[in-house]
Amino acid sequence: MAKKKQQGKAVETVAAEPVPDEEEEDEEEEEEELELLQVDLGDMVKLKQVLDEAVASVLLEKLDEDYRWDNFKLSIMALACIFAMVAQFAPIPFPESRPLLGVCGCAYFLLSGVLQFIATFIDKDSILLTKPLSPDTEAGKKTSTKNELLKKHGVRVRSNLPRFSEWYSVILEHRMDEKEAKSPFTEQKWSVGKFFDKEGFFDEFGLMKEVEGLYERFEKDKGHFD
Amino acid sequence: MIKDIIDKQVFELKKLWANKRQLTFQVLNLAMIVFSALMIWKGLMFVTKSESPVVVVLSGSMEPAFQRGDILFLNNAKHQVFVGDVVVFKIKDRDIPIVHRILKVHTDADSGEVELLTKGDNNRVDDRGLYAPGQLWLKREDILGKAVGTLRYVGMVTIALNDYPVLKYVLVGMMGLFVLTNKEG
Repeated sequence: MAKKKQQGKAVETVAAEPVPDEEEEDEEEEEEELELLQVDLGDMVKLKQVLDEAVASVLLEKLDEDYRWDNFKLSIMALACIFAMVAQFAPIPFPESRPLLGVCGCAYFLLSGVLQFIATFIDKDSILLTKPLSPDTEAGKKTSTKNELLKKHGVRVRSNLPRFSEWYSVILEHRMDEKEAKSPFTEQKWSVGKFFDKEGFFDEFGLMKEVEGLYERFEKDKGHFD
Repeated sequence: MIKDIIDKQVFELKKLWANKRQLTFQVLNLAMIVFSALMIWKGLMFVTKSESPVVVVLSGSMEPAFQRGDILFLNNAKHQVFVGDVVVFKIKDRDIPIVHRILKVHTDADSGEVELLTKGDNNRVDDRGLYAPGQLWLKREDILGKAVGTLRYVGMVTIALNDYPVLKYVLVGMMGLFVLTNKEG
């Protein structure tokens, strides 16, 4: 049950406890028929997916998602598919179509390589990118902030759940250019036992509260640098 | 148990349909997986200069060297073929490629054009009976490629898929479903 403190970073590690019985009673008091999402606890991919989706939905209540990078990746995929379809469906019979096949094949594998590169080195563990907090967003989402960095830069949300580990960590950082300065960030770690019970039922509200707390810390912080 | 799995998949599909952006991403992901396989095939076609760089042996006419269900890798890059080469050829206007060995090569001294006669190792007679009516020799263009490698029995899957076409749809359908709903990408 120890709280780990790491040098230089404000990371709170909340130790694992099985979901206490009082929580289940609370839920019965508040709502009668609450359908909780159930996940197979052995399926680590699904676990992370469920957690990531919940984190994203909480943050999207406060910030707008930035689709530009996503669109860029989708358009590269579409372009690669177009090259592949041209190679497949071009009405030129085989021996003559060889140069075309060569070009399309090279283009396809090049684009495919670019996508892999992006996934491995640029995206890494990001799960959400947001736009800077503009006056429209503030009006639309009914949020406001005094944090200047939030107004200038969007937020990158990163998450980590290593294979076979119970520690799920979420990092909120400002999307600043690496050249200017290392982006200030706020990180928090939880055990997945805090949000899932033995049967695999997911405590979405618990996670929402925790993420809101993390966001508030992020807002108040002038920023930690690595 | 199967009903649970189906229910889960249906639930995932419904969730996917609601979020068009995710759906687009998953569809493109699936397309890229399929296209990657396709492009590797096209790449092989490009390198080996053969219409069909990988074929499955369908009959027993080349036993004991090749059995029904063997996979053959072809290379069509070299123009010259020799007696004794195992080649795959197609008779004009017929779909099915045939794997046999070259028996005779006649080369025209002036033009360099060749005429070829083939025969299956396990057959009694040469292939003249198989050629188109009136055709006595094969030309170099009829040859899809020379066999340069083989994998025993791996082609049985293809033969099964061909004999029972419904298996093809079942297989592809299941793969597609699981890729669409598995959001690891």
